[in-house]
Amino acid sequence: MTIYLLRRLFLLGTVLLGLSIFAFSLGYLFPGDPLQNFSGLRYLDDSTREQLTLAYRLDGSYLQQYLAFIQRLWHGDWGLSLASQQPLLTEIRQVLPATLELTSYALLVSFFVGIPLGILAAIKPDGVIGKAISAIAITGYSLPIFWWGLLLIMVFAVGLGWFPSGGRLGVLYEIPPQTGFMLVDILLSDVSYRQAALQDALRHLLLPTLALATFPTTVMIRFVRDAMLDVWEQSYIKTAKAKGLSRLQVLYRHGLRNALLPVIRQIGLQFSTLITLAMLTEVIFSWPGIGRWLIDSIYQRNFPAIQAGLMIISVLVITVNMLTEILHTFFNPLARKR
Amino acid sequence: MQKFRLYFEENNRSPLVQLWREFARQHSALFGLALFAGFLLLSILAPLLTPHDPYLQADHLLLLPPSWSEQGLVQYPFGTDDLGRDLLSRMLKGTTYTFGLALVTVLGALIAGLALGALAGMSRGVKSSFFNHLLDLILTIPSLLLAIIIVAVLGPGLANTAWAVSLALLPQFVHGIRNAIAEQLKQDYVTAYRLDGANNWQVLTRLVIPNIWEKVTIMCSMALSTAILDIAALGFLSLGAQAPTAEWGAMINDSLDLIYLAPASVAIPGLLIFTAVLSVNLVGDGLKIAMQRRREG
Amino acid sequence: MKYLSCLSLLCVALLGGCSRDQGPLREGGLVYCAEGSPEHFNPQRVTSGTTIDIISQQLYDRLLDIDPQSGDLLPALASSWQRSADGRTYEFQLRPDVQFHQTHYFTPSRPLQAADVVFTFNRILQPDHPFHAVGGAVYPYFQSVDWTALVTEVRATGPLTVQFQLSRPDSSFLSNLATDFAAILSAEYAGQLLASGRPAQIDSLPVGTGPFFFREYQKDVLVRFYRHANYWRGEAAMAQLVFDIVPNNARRMAKLLTHECDIIAYPRLAELALITERPDVRVQESTSMNVGFWAFNTRKAPFDNVKVRQALSLAINQRAILQAVYFNQATAARSVLPPTSWAFNPQIPLHEYNPQRARELLAEAGYGNGFNMNIWAMPVQRLYNPNALKMAELLQADLAQIGVNASIVSYEWNAFRRRLSQGEHDSVLIGWAADNADPDNFFRPLLSCAAADSGSNRALWCDPVFDRMINQALLTSDQQQRRSYYLAAQQYLHNELPLVAMAHSQRIQALNSQVEGVSINPYGGIALFQARRVQP
Repeated sequence: MTIYLLRRLFLLGTVLLGLSIFAFSLGYLFPGDPLQNFSGLRYLDDSTREQLTLAYRLDGSYLQQYLAFIQRLWHGDWGLSLASQQPLLTEIRQVLPATLELTSYALLVSFFVGIPLGILAAIKPDGVIGKAISAIAITGYSLPIFWWGLLLIMVFAVGLGWFPSGGRLGVLYEIPPQTGFMLVDILLSDVSYRQAALQDALRHLLLPTLALATFPTTVMIRFVRDAMLDVWEQSYIKTAKAKGLSRLQVLYRHGLRNALLPVIRQIGLQFSTLITLAMLTEVIFSWPGIGRWLIDSIYQRNFPAIQAGLMIISVLVITVNMLTEILHTFFNPLARKR
Repeated sequence: MQKFRLYFEENNRSPLVQLWREFARQHSALFGLALFAGFLLLSILAPLLTPHDPYLQADHLLLLPPSWSEQGLVQYPFGTDDLGRDLLSRMLKGTTYTFGLALVTVLGALIAGLALGALAGMSRGVKSSFFNHLLDLILTIPSLLLAIIIVAVLGPGLANTAWAVSLALLPQFVHGIRNAIAEQLKQDYVTAYRLDGANNWQVLTRLVIPNIWEKVTIMCSMALSTAILDIAALGFLSLGAQAPTAEWGAMINDSLDLIYLAPASVAIPGLLIFTAVLSVNLVGDGLKIAMQRRREG
Repeated sequence: MKYLSCLSLLCVALLGGCSRDQGPLREGGLVYCAEGSPEHFNPQRVTSGTTIDIISQQLYDRLLDIDPQSGDLLPALASSWQRSADGRTYEFQLRPDVQFHQTHYFTPSRPLQAADVVFTFNRILQPDHPFHAVGGAVYPYFQSVDWTALVTEVRATGPLTVQFQLSRPDSSFLSNLATDFAAILSAEYAGQLLASGRPAQIDSLPVGTGPFFFREYQKDVLVRFYRHANYWRGEAAMAQLVFDIVPNNARRMAKLLTHECDIIAYPRLAELALITERPDVRVQESTSMNVGFWAFNTRKAPFDNVKVRQALSLAINQRAILQAVYFNQATAARSVLPPTSWAFNPQIPLHEYNPQRARELLAEAGYGNGFNMNIWAMPVQRLYNPNALKMAELLQADLAQIGVNASIVSYEWNAFRRRLSQGEHDSVLIGWAADNADPDNFFRPLLSCAAADSGSNRALWCDPVFDRMINQALLTSDQQQRRSYYLAAQQYLHNELPLVAMAHSQRIQALNSQVEGVSINPYGGIALFQARRVQP
């Protein structure tokens, strides 16, 4: 296990190294002045230019520049946003929790809806319920999320008026940001309208969560169903059946546990899909998360922000993946050999 | 005796015919295939089929409702947009852009993936294991995000979208093909063939490739549905096809402003994307099940 | 199944509360959905209508105001003023006991004084002023009217009296003071910032005398103001004012329909009919002095050739544009001045559409085979151009008829204007909304040489003949005489065509039927001071 962990860590280190080199080279790949791309300063007079060139080692070799770049990253100096002239790290700290909040709720939904439905579909795969669930799953799997989100807004927000059409919270509620997670912040705040704000935040959450959860839920259904059917063919199930255990007992004691093990790995895979889909969801539901921020940055040709956003999202995705894989291996010694 | 001969005969059919039989038993898969063939035809024949020029602006026919409503015209079945362009023609033209382009990008990624995957699969040792793990990690970055990164560097545009989606699909092809090849190389018949004096190239072309094409087909179907969704999503974010290009995703974005006046102009392209992806997924699922059943049966 | 019932329970709980309205705070709060983020919070430094709408009438006051109906000047922070006989000295008497905002970053110790007015204008005038260079020393409006050449000195002649010295008589001087750009800042706040070494904060955390004070700004999300309790005109009706930033037109409309917004900026003209059918929202319309146009970058070839410009103008179908882009809710423009202006020249013919003649002119200019060009189209909906991208697509199709291959370029709004000022474009679809009733406010910021340098002259056109005409018009205060100069200037523009004027449109906004008291100044931003909520 230790060797396994070390190997994984080494791999993670290599990938982060590669990623940072890529991010660094973006400063040159993007159009415009590399100094501006790295610093994010909109107005550069000669003295700052000289000063920054020195600090960024732009006069030195690429290796020196890269090392200076890593040093800046390490010290939290990620440069400024070209659009707002605010430190990028501050902006990311504001938008990232919103995305994490949305994705984690969607992830929860995909588990709590996807797993039971998947099991249900596996009990009688050719029955009416099984077929219906499969049909729903393939439909949800094929839906373009941006269109689905629009549909939800048109029906439930504009048409029926049940839910707000976008945003995290009614703008009239002023909740001081502490953790960045809206529900937590509301609970921590000491405003007089806490109850109402909480309810409002939940109403804002519902449609985006639904839109975002659709794809991962259907993936989950298909995955769990296939895993269950797979397990069903294993010899230990046959043995259990032969022992005379009832179908439910077999399912619960032997089938479920073995089928759900790979689900842990799914968390990691789902998470990366979710982050991408969240970008689209955020655009549609005006959710102030990192996806919308990144896409706005692309529109604004805000290169320092694009660079930082990519780094953050990739590191996040890769780390979560790595963690879930390690977790999976931890519970499943068989996987260690591979 | 009769029964025995029948069984014998059936088992001797070529794998392709067996596969088709299993595939044809599934109604949903057949339905998907029909849709898929339809889209394929449309994407090739679109320029011939469009009743009007998809970019022609008819000044006197702005925001015409679809022909099923009372104010609609038969000549414009889906109505016109706010510049007087025929929506049906634009949808048809969009098949070429969204569906056709997705096919091309998948094909490109497949060819590059075959080459790289074969290289990686035939090599061994630390280098190969590291390469494999590296691909594993790159794979965790979803294709759309990768495509967005690439478009951010290259700048928006339809051609750049094609490159971006192609490049974004590449890791999964390389990974899948590499693994499939590695699995084949472990088989006894490969060892036997090698003992007969076959070199790497012969092993690859005569044994490995014929044995992995099924997996590659499945990979392609998954890649295709991803490609369609990604191209449309990029178009929707106006990072891909730019107005006035009649790409489905870009058309949705374009018509968002008209969502109250002409809901059809948002609904129909979305429905088309959905149907296209559904057809690909149905075919892919059908193939997967057919292969499984053939192997079991 | 348990989950499903849980979910449905949750739904019921959520729906049960209040379906369309925002709960307890809605009573005292107003939400205005704006089409873009403000660049910063100092009106001196902006030209974009988005920023002006959000900040100037809400946070600040000016020395003078304009009567929205008559266009006359009204006293505001200045209770009275006097003009010397030679027209070169103006003295203003300030209103006593005008309080500045008390915010979480500043507590005023004194009311408005002459020193504040002097500070405000010296920041623009004096290059060595400690605040002059904050934000890059760019004061587009003041630079476009050549303010530094006009005003030689601003000084306090008493605690509440300010004197302006001009280098020459200028009949548009008072009108300029009444524009939204001439907001009065606090000298005391500036002094504190300077002492603590954070001068740049003056434009991001604003202090003014207006009806609301600044609370918070989340970029691309919202701007929050609270009511200024000691406002000199009395307290505003709404305790809270939030500008929700919604750049997408369809989404703004959706938010109006779901009651997430009380007022939306720039509803799409095409949807007005839809709104009028609903009882919960209504449309407010007001005249506005504006022009949407297509400007050529006259510093680039081939647009420096007047024949090419004329050919491009003849190639486009203005009537089709009015129909498709403005939904016929605008007047076809002949020149930059709208027909409601007293200096309008009715002699200028309506726009002519003649692709045949356009091709001939192009051939004469030596471009018989056409050429490639780009059209920059604003990414946002503005009063003067509700959909520049659509207009660009129409132009693209028209230009293809005469062999000109046009590509459309668009960036996010702030980046767009930044690049535009650097002259990167071949041609641009943009426009202008007047800041005051004076015709000079069209000619000078749009087409003078000074404006070509400051960036508001999108054609980058600098013509000494034209500059002389509009300068002479200012030296006299005789309206008949001024008019003759402006008529000539319009005729000259018609011949030279640095830009093609498209349309003059009405200013329209859609609001919730419960909201009343919203006034739109035809010469500037929206004022929400008197906005209030009434129960229908």
